[in-house]
Amino acid sequence: MKRVVMISGILLPAAFAGIVDSSYVTLHSAQGFVIPCGFAGGCEQVLNSPFSRIFGIPIAWLGLSFYVTVAATSLFALFGFEKALRFSFAAAVPAFAFTGYLVFVQAYVLGAYCDYCLLSAILVSLILGLHLLAKPWLAK
Amino acid sequence: MPMVLDHEKDDSLLRVRKRLSNSGRSMVKPLIALLVVVVAAVGTALFLLHRNGRNSPSTSPAPFPNLNGKPVIISEGWAKGDLSAKTVLVEFGDFQCPSCSGARLKVSGVLAKYGKGLKVVFKQYPMDGIHRNAMLAALAAEAAGRQFKFWEMHDLLFSRQREWSDIPDVTTFFLKYAADLQMDVERFRMDMLDNDLRNKIFRDMLEGQVAQVRSVPTFFLNGSLLQSVKSDTEFEEIIAQAIKSAQ
Repeated sequence: MKRVVMISGILLPAAFAGIVDSSYVTLHSAQGFVIPCGFAGGCEQVLNSPFSRIFGIPIAWLGLSFYVTVAATSLFALFGFEKALRFSFAAAVPAFAFTGYLVFVQAYVLGAYCDYCLLSAILVSLILGLHLLAKPWLAK
Repeated sequence: MPMVLDHEKDDSLLRVRKRLSNSGRSMVKPLIALLVVVVAAVGTALFLLHRNGRNSPSTSPAPFPNLNGKPVIISEGWAKGDLSAKTVLVEFGDFQCPSCSGARLKVSGVLAKYGKGLKVVFKQYPMDGIHRNAMLAALAAEAAGRQFKFWEMHDLLFSRQREWSDIPDVTTFFLKYAADLQMDVERFRMDMLDNDLRNKIFRDMLEGQVAQVRSVPTFFLNGSLLQSVKSDTEFEEIIAQAIKSAQ
């Protein structure tokens, strides 16, 4: 029980950060502000490239739905529905693969990196890593 | 066939009802907590967006030679500023792209500050795959150019971008803009249908593709790709240095 609380206690802040990150990018697109890009410097190039959408859907929306799923499953786990974490694990695997593809696109196709995408890549890796670490505990 | 007594049936029904109502009650709490988390996170994002919308980012300028990349042809295009300047800033832009709208103000600021010694060229790069009205907007700007009002239409399209971006019958808006700019609206309408203008846009796009433009806005300073510019301050600094070096 305590382990579930510990895992959810890390997953929840990660999901919170992910929701802030992805909704910031989504809202930025709607508002039309020039997005600040203090670290990597290539946000405008990445976010205005054709790779910023998949089948017409902005990737930020996909990210947002992923992080909301993780937040929901962590909260359900904290309130006693421990099996809910299986859903976030099932979501984290394709999310990680897709993140890998996006990092590849930034590095080798666009030649530009976006702070917000890199932060998301770190968060997705953290979420998947945590699930993998916790898998033997949760199976007990 | 096993017999089920009425009171047994009632008991089992009660048990199911109890279980359902128990689980229903306990699911409410995580759902409320989720709502709180999502509202707090989106609120934080809104706060950050509002703060950054008001204050432009201030990072320290990088050393000058931040210019690398492939050469770009700069012979043709809509130009403004000091037309005989040695320092030429070429922008590949899309009228429906929100960042290009922001870049317009950035370029105007630089041009106002370094008007002498800087030529700014705009090239069309409508990304109609993600921006449904971008090509029509590019045509509207080119058609306005035939009546010597390219830059006026350029500014109008960007400043009213949110008004027309998602409109299915966008041409109506562009005709209104043409009227607002006191243009010959009928001629403007005919010019928007002219294949020569469409081909001109395609030439700009082809040039962009050769120069490996992959997103908008993309800037080239004296033929070199201007990339990884982290702030407006750095952008201005790089241009100022280029003007100084050309003198």
